[in-house]
Amino acid sequence: MNTPTLSRCLLGAVLALSAPAAVRAAGVLNLFGWSEYVPQTVIDAFTKETGIKVNFETYSSNEELISKLVAGGGRYDLVQPSDYAAEVMIRQKLLAPLDATKLGHRKNLLPEFQKRPHDPEDKYTVPYMSGTVGIVVNTEKVKTAVKSYREVFQPAFKNRIVVLNDNREIVTWALYTLGLPINKIPKENLAKVRPIIAEWVKLVKVFDSDSPKTALLNGDVDLGVVWSGEAAILWNQHKKFQYTIPAEGAHQYIDVLAIPTGAKNQAEAHQFINFILRPEVSKMISAAFPYTNPNGAARKLLTAAELANPASYPKGGKIETFRDIGKTAADIDRLVTDLKSAK
Amino acid sequence: MSGVESAGGARRAPGWRAWALLAPLLAWLLLFIVIPTGILFVYSFCERDELGRVVYTFTGESYARVFDPIYLRIFGWSVGYAALTTAICIVVGFPVAYQIGRARDPWRHRLLLLMMVPFWTSFLIRTYAWITILKQEGLLNAVWQALVPGHGPLDLLYTPTAVMIGLVYAYLPFMILPIYGSVEKLDPALIEAAHDLGAGQLRVFSAVIIPLTLPGIAAGTLLVFVPSIAMFAITDLMGGARVPLIGNVIQNQFMQARDWPFGAALGMVFMALFAVVYWVLGRWREREEAAG
Repeated sequence: MNTPTLSRCLLGAVLALSAPAAVRAAGVLNLFGWSEYVPQTVIDAFTKETGIKVNFETYSSNEELISKLVAGGGRYDLVQPSDYAAEVMIRQKLLAPLDATKLGHRKNLLPEFQKRPHDPEDKYTVPYMSGTVGIVVNTEKVKTAVKSYREVFQPAFKNRIVVLNDNREIVTWALYTLGLPINKIPKENLAKVRPIIAEWVKLVKVFDSDSPKTALLNGDVDLGVVWSGEAAILWNQHKKFQYTIPAEGAHQYIDVLAIPTGAKNQAEAHQFINFILRPEVSKMISAAFPYTNPNGAARKLLTAAELANPASYPKGGKIETFRDIGKTAADIDRLVTDLKSAK
Repeated sequence: MSGVESAGGARRAPGWRAWALLAPLLAWLLLFIVIPTGILFVYSFCERDELGRVVYTFTGESYARVFDPIYLRIFGWSVGYAALTTAICIVVGFPVAYQIGRARDPWRHRLLLLMMVPFWTSFLIRTYAWITILKQEGLLNAVWQALVPGHGPLDLLYTPTAVMIGLVYAYLPFMILPIYGSVEKLDPALIEAAHDLGAGQLRVFSAVIIPLTLPGIAAGTLLVFVPSIAMFAITDLMGGARVPLIGNVIQNQFMQARDWPFGAALGMVFMALFAVVYWVLGRWREREEAAG
């Protein structure tokens, strides 16, 4: 869920000005999460069981989360950053350590979602849902096999491609095609991917991070590189949309739950995290939003159809999470902006 | 230019009542124009930290980046798109405004009302409606392929043409309304007089109608050019974000890139440009009025 929706940004800006201050009271949880990510049914079930009232506010990008957290410290008890954002937040001491004794259901998590690089000792974060960035192909229009970035970006598909409007993603794909590391990006590596990306941007018809599925559904493009969550929804609508993890490697994102430093209702926040970790609750989230569920016990409860969705549960492939790259982000931004405007 | 002051006669200093009546406007200007601009100005000389927070150290780095060839080129593109939008709006809008302004009374109000109707729907929803019309399996292509069988679908959405359609659609009313205002004030007797004195249609148009409606055209140009140069929603949604315009670059600095100082510097340079355009247009109008 790295997708800022334009309309939501505008709406968010309006709401930010009018958001009432959260009330501090016993039995309250101020949850700040991604839009379209936490089902209302889960929140209602939590309130019904515990009597804790949940104040739910949403954001649509990690950047929005960080800026509001920095500005309105102590207002939120539980947040939902992506891995790389959580890494920076831990370093900047914006997150409070978790009390492992209150998170008994943590054992349900699959080993591949434990002790990841953004939080090597699992001290601050608990995985919520996960996803990848991969290739989606409309198999009714594209008859050849497309399994790698190089096969996506070929002249035959000029003006038939949609990609995320995300500069770091695009640079990452190009780095993969050269077998270069995606989290250590010296200037000379950026110089190496420059000509590749220059060719790619000429072939792309749509850059869209908010809803790349729209152009595919509308028939304006035939293939693309998109969030797996989008691809999972496409697959649920029509089986002609096939998702693949690119052969060269793919970006995996893990969105986590974490408690901000200075949160007033930490006990309630722990209760909520432990509630989410229950298999039957986690299953409800998967049913509403078909991301990759990191909860092994919950996966056993999923239907065969849910598990068969190649975008939710891709088979094999090399996947890596993003690490914070600091000031290189500005160089990437400049590089891609330059190439896009050069046409 | 010199006629205004002498013709005004004795000028009175505004009393407390005038200030009281002006207070809401002044408060509005202060709160939403002066203070935010001040904040932007301060930010534009700051730096950002790792989290994208603004750090208050003085640096001109952001301004140096604004004049990087990349951003100047994008700036050029943006001015080009905005100028073309304005030109099309004048060409399309003038006849419409003229006809509405000349229409008889019940019709004039009905036509004006029709112009306003789109504003009852959110701008974003109207833009999404255009996507539905222009997409490859959309309304326009269905009609096109029914009329011209055997021809492939038109490739419109996510092209510069789509961006132009979106921009002209969005800003046309802002051209029509001020021109309408000028046309309404136009005295028909002057046109008749010109005809009586032997001027042809073309001469009447160029020597009478255009000069007398110029204030409306100038106001419309300002109302269309300024917002269309900074538009980012249409280029993202209808243009597929393929060619970044200056509005997209600025939006990106505040959202994704989280480089507020750079975004602020772009905004300040931009505002300076608007001020220059406004001043030039103002001088031009004054000169026209003095000459007329």
